[in-house]
Amino acid sequence: MEEGLAVETRELVKKYGNFTAVDHLNLKIDRGVTYGLLGPNGSGKTTTIKVLCDLLKPTGGEAFLLGKKVGDNSIAPRIGYMPQETALYLDLSIHDNICLFGEVYGMNRAEIDSAEKNLLEFVDLTKWRNTPVSNLSGGMRHRTSLACSMIHNPELLFMDEPTVGVDPELRASFWEYFETLGKRGATVVITTHYMDEAHRCGKIGMMRQGKLITEGSPQDIIQSTGCGSLEDAFLELARRGGHHAD
Amino acid sequence: MRIKRALAITKRIFRGLRHDRRTVALILLAPILAMTLFGIAFSGEVEDVDVIVVDHDSGDLSERIISNLDDKTLNIRFMDSEQNAVKKVEDGNAWAVFVFPEDFSQNIATKNAVIHLRADKSNVNVASAIAVTLREAMTETLTQAGGEMPISVSESPVYGENAEFIDFFVPGIMAFAIFLLTTLLTLLAFVGERTSGTLERLKASPMRDGEIVLGYVIAFGIIGMVQASLLLIIATVGFNVTIEGNPFLAYIIVALLALVSVNLGILLSAAAKREAQAVQFLPMIILPTFLLAGIFWPVEAIPSFLRWASFAIPPTYGVEAMRSVMVRGWGLGEIWMELVILLAFALVFMILSVKSLQRGKG
Ligand SMILES: Nc1ncnc2c1ncn2[C@@H]1O[C@H](COP(=O)(O)OP(=O)(O)O)[C@@H](O)[C@H]1O
Ligand SMILES: [Mg+2]
Repeated sequence: MEEGLAVETRELVKKYGNFTAVDHLNLKIDRGVTYGLLGPNGSGKTTTIKVLCDLLKPTGGEAFLLGKKVGDNSIAPRIGYMPQETALYLDLSIHDNICLFGEVYGMNRAEIDSAEKNLLEFVDLTKWRNTPVSNLSGGMRHRTSLACSMIHNPELLFMDEPTVGVDPELRASFWEYFETLGKRGATVVITTHYMDEAHRCGKIGMMRQGKLITEGSPQDIIQSTGCGSLEDAFLELARRGGHHAD
Repeated sequence: MRIKRALAITKRIFRGLRHDRRTVALILLAPILAMTLFGIAFSGEVEDVDVIVVDHDSGDLSERIISNLDDKTLNIRFMDSEQNAVKKVEDGNAWAVFVFPEDFSQNIATKNAVIHLRADKSNVNVASAIAVTLREAMTETLTQAGGEMPISVSESPVYGENAEFIDFFVPGIMAFAIFLLTTLLTLLAFVGERTSGTLERLKASPMRDGEIVLGYVIAFGIIGMVQASLLLIIATVGFNVTIEGNPFLAYIIVALLALVSVNLGILLSAAAKREAQAVQFLPMIILPTFLLAGIFWPVEAIPSFLRWASFAIPPTYGVEAMRSVMVRGWGLGEIWMELVILLAFALVFMILSVKSLQRGKG
């Protein structure tokens, strides 16, 4: 394990039965980076994140977070996970959801209160604080979910498609926030299948059929393929790699 | 294992109830309704059975017997024609006809007096109530006439001196309600955790699987206690049931049953992918419990080839222990075996439910 890496995988494999969802993946993500894991639906992004968060056992290979092998008990308190589904208690208010996850991470009342205040201001839900989540719109639930996964101020944050179903204005504010997190030294790993928003990431890994087909900063990837956009770059790389994949 | 993290789960279950009136209603009203309805319906006595007396007796023996018939059990009408009376039974308008022949009183001297009973025996409970009432009236009449029965029974009950059917039945319905509702509520809540993704969020946190289970156990244990208190209040105040033993022991039984049920609910939730599937499990829990656990009829009444099934389900021990405490007034010294068996069930189910949370990691 190299010093300073937030995430490292070595020949990581995850199979569902005979189907290989993650295929010998080698990732290296430096600390403090906003890393975008890109790829079309079904390319294995969610599976990768779940293996990293110790929700799925890898079939082969190894994974390390913050210098510790995945499965080590000291990792969980330091990471945050925002699942692809909203994953909230609908019959609880925003405040109660946030409190629960704060308590789960061992925070005391004062710590939860101050962190909650800042987060709710950022996601613009302060005045909905006591509303049950079941009464909120999809976008508001998404923002609540974001707040819940960050209540304990994690060093390393995994967000699975955090911007799906979020309106463009909010999406822009999400990305601004992810950048501030990076500046504070936190590592953020975001999956998305929207290629157009990925240029805001410090670094990008493109996945296809469980494999990493390229990695680098958005500018580097665009330049190296000679394409005009990340979308075109992905298509170009998929074409080049296609002869053995299809 | 951190108790604080488990308590965070417990707290969230109670916070959720604040906004969920439907579940609160289920928790509070279901036991009350079950107790009240069953309590009234199963008061245990057959009453107001329509019977017809056709009295052709020329003497007065028939009248003495008729006056001794319990008029709470029987609704007696008189008719002159046996044929018409039997027709009433055939048409379903009466359950039985008692026919006293003309020479009935005379024949008693030759010990050959016969009452003809033409009964609709399609309902065994009614038929036996009629037979018993008639026999009691005959014995009573004989006694009044100074004709003592040569054999008698002198009773001094060991347990249940004043016990009625309701006393037998309340401990059973208590164990049943706690077992069923706790399993159901946990099952539904946990299927929710699995389908909404909150379980994954918890599992990605420092929370241990055992802490999640413990959080549920504490929450539903408390809910079970509240339900048990409600049931005991209704039983004692509403139905005059006396609790012979220590009520504290009743709560221990409830706690153990809740422990079993929570873990059963979690286990079942692993097999159900959606709420609708979870509901399909219900008959699989309700029916065996209802039929085999000894709530309405004793385990001894179950055919011996099926009796092992009674002993294979946890509520049987809950019912038995609860009944021993409430009706017999037994203490820890007598019911420890049932408690140990319940605890063993609870531990096995708990290990399996924690395992079921770890599975699915693939
Ligand atoms: N539990 C599962 N069982 C079987 N196949 C699965 C399971 N979860 C995901 N898959 C398959 O694995 C592939 C990768 O899925 P996923 O990691 O969710 O991709 P992405 O997040 O990039 O859309 C898909 O083809 C999906 O159908
Ligand atoms: Mg996905």
